Amino acid sequence: MERNEIFNKVVELAVDKLSAEKAEIKEETNFIEDLNADSLDVVDFVMALEGEFDMEIPEDDVEKIKTVKDAVDYIVNK
Amino acid sequence: MKFSFDDFDFSKFKWSDIFSRGVALPTLTIGSKTATVPIVQGGMGVGISASRLAAAVAQEGGIGVIAANAIGMLEKDYYKNGIEANMRALRSEIRKARKATDGIIGVNIMVALNDFHNMLQVSIEEKVDIVFLGAGLPLKGIPVEALRAANVAVVPIVSSAKAVQLIFKFWQKKYNDIPDGVVLEGPKAGGHLGYKPEQIDDPAFALEAVLPTIVEAVKPFAKELGREIPVIAGGGVFSGSDIEQTLTLGASAVQMGTRFVATTECDADEGFKQSFVDAKEDDVVLIKSPVGMPGRAIRNQFLTDLENGAKKFFKCPYKCLASCKAEESQYCISLALDNARKGKMNHGFAFAGTNAYKIEKIVSVKELIAELKMGYAESCETTFTRIKDEYAVAMERFAEVKQEYGVALDNGIEALKTEYDKISEMGASDYFDDKIQALESVENLKKNYAEAQEYIQELVEQMQLFMDNAVYE
Repeated sequence: MERNEIFNKVVELAVDKLSAEKAEIKEETNFIEDLNADSLDVVDFVMALEGEFDMEIPEDDVEKIKTVKDAVDYIVNK
Repeated sequence: MKFSFDDFDFSKFKWSDIFSRGVALPTLTIGSKTATVPIVQGGMGVGISASRLAAAVAQEGGIGVIAANAIGMLEKDYYKNGIEANMRALRSEIRKARKATDGIIGVNIMVALNDFHNMLQVSIEEKVDIVFLGAGLPLKGIPVEALRAANVAVVPIVSSAKAVQLIFKFWQKKYNDIPDGVVLEGPKAGGHLGYKPEQIDDPAFALEAVLPTIVEAVKPFAKELGREIPVIAGGGVFSGSDIEQTLTLGASAVQMGTRFVATTECDADEGFKQSFVDAKEDDVVLIKSPVGMPGRAIRNQFLTDLENGAKKFFKCPYKCLASCKAEESQYCISLALDNARKGKMNHGFAFAGTNAYKIEKIVSVKELIAELKMGYAESCETTFTRIKDEYAVAMERFAEVKQEYGVALDNGIEALKTEYDKISEMGASDYFDDKIQALESVENLKKNYAEAQEYIQELVEQMQLFMDNAVYE
């Protein structure tokens, strides 16, 4: 999958799970600080990422995924 | 639309049907276990609810819960072999409780514990009846098969419907199974709270606001898997009347912690219990725990010192909680709680629920359960009497309306009858001729009136003209 394609999917899931506006999401958008996500939202979002990209994200890695860029990079590098 | 007062047949209401719950407490079934009293004794660490309290509650028909967190502090070698001491102590407490009663024994394990899996493993090996999993979401790595094989029911502790949905959705997908019940711990509870500080007094997060949403959230899962998923609500439940109100909101049972501290069987030192008896309303305060969450406790010198910036010496035995910032912290919470348990209140403090100040004396668990049962029955009677009184008032009003309606109807019918009689007497055409004539005469009157008005107007104008032209001398 192209990086751009992954980015678009991540944005789509963030819109769905974190009730964010598509236009406000950029590479550097921080889920907790910018999108006001709480810990439950993050779990829900990560579960959605796992489903979408058919992968397991260990809890230690979840802590490293703070921004859209982090999520996209993580998926690209897997 | 046809309307009849006879459609409202109140005589078919039977009070016994409306109030089928009666005044005895209902039972609580979780998985394959049924408690005769729907009261779960909330897990209280460190060592506040161990085997003695849990067994006493189970013996009275409730669900007794041993708190697993830092339970190894009951052992001598906690500082040397923390994890091993925890496992050993938990196993020993479960066995002691089992020996003392055939009742239902649960273990409360915090998901955030670094040795969460060890504690879960011991609970499975010892085949406890229920594990209550709070302080985090029990999602990944739950040994569901082993839990099922050992017939251990799983009940997550949550603070929102969103958490329920997350857990149940995840379990369904990952384990093709769902938990056996849910505990909702509201913001009035004691100890660590699953809320942000600003949410604690926000009515939108109050137990009575969140409880119905949790009851709704479990419904689709219960239906899909054809299971009963009881919702147990706690946090501020103090009296039998509180129990009645909580069950009325849809809970199947209540979780109570604070009340059980003030019992002879509570595993803590008498000094710890006495601090509950002595506490005044403004002694129950919110603190910021080193684990990064708000907590509710009874204010004492130790907490005041911390507030003033004091640093209490401690040696972190091992990082028991992933989220604990021990190196930045003023004190070790496990150690403070363990000191309080031992009655060393100068070196620790007691976690307590909002209503802790209402406690007046220490009673036995048997007495407490009896008091709650009686309070529940009395509260039911009060509710029953209130509904009956409201019903009586409504019935009186109904009778009034019915009578008013009857009179109006009679008058209307009477008037119609009179007209009808006239028609049949005079024959229809004469009757209408009569009516048309009457109408015509009214029209005539109106015309005459208008003519008279015009005439008067003319007279006035003529008089005016006369006056204008007249010359006075």
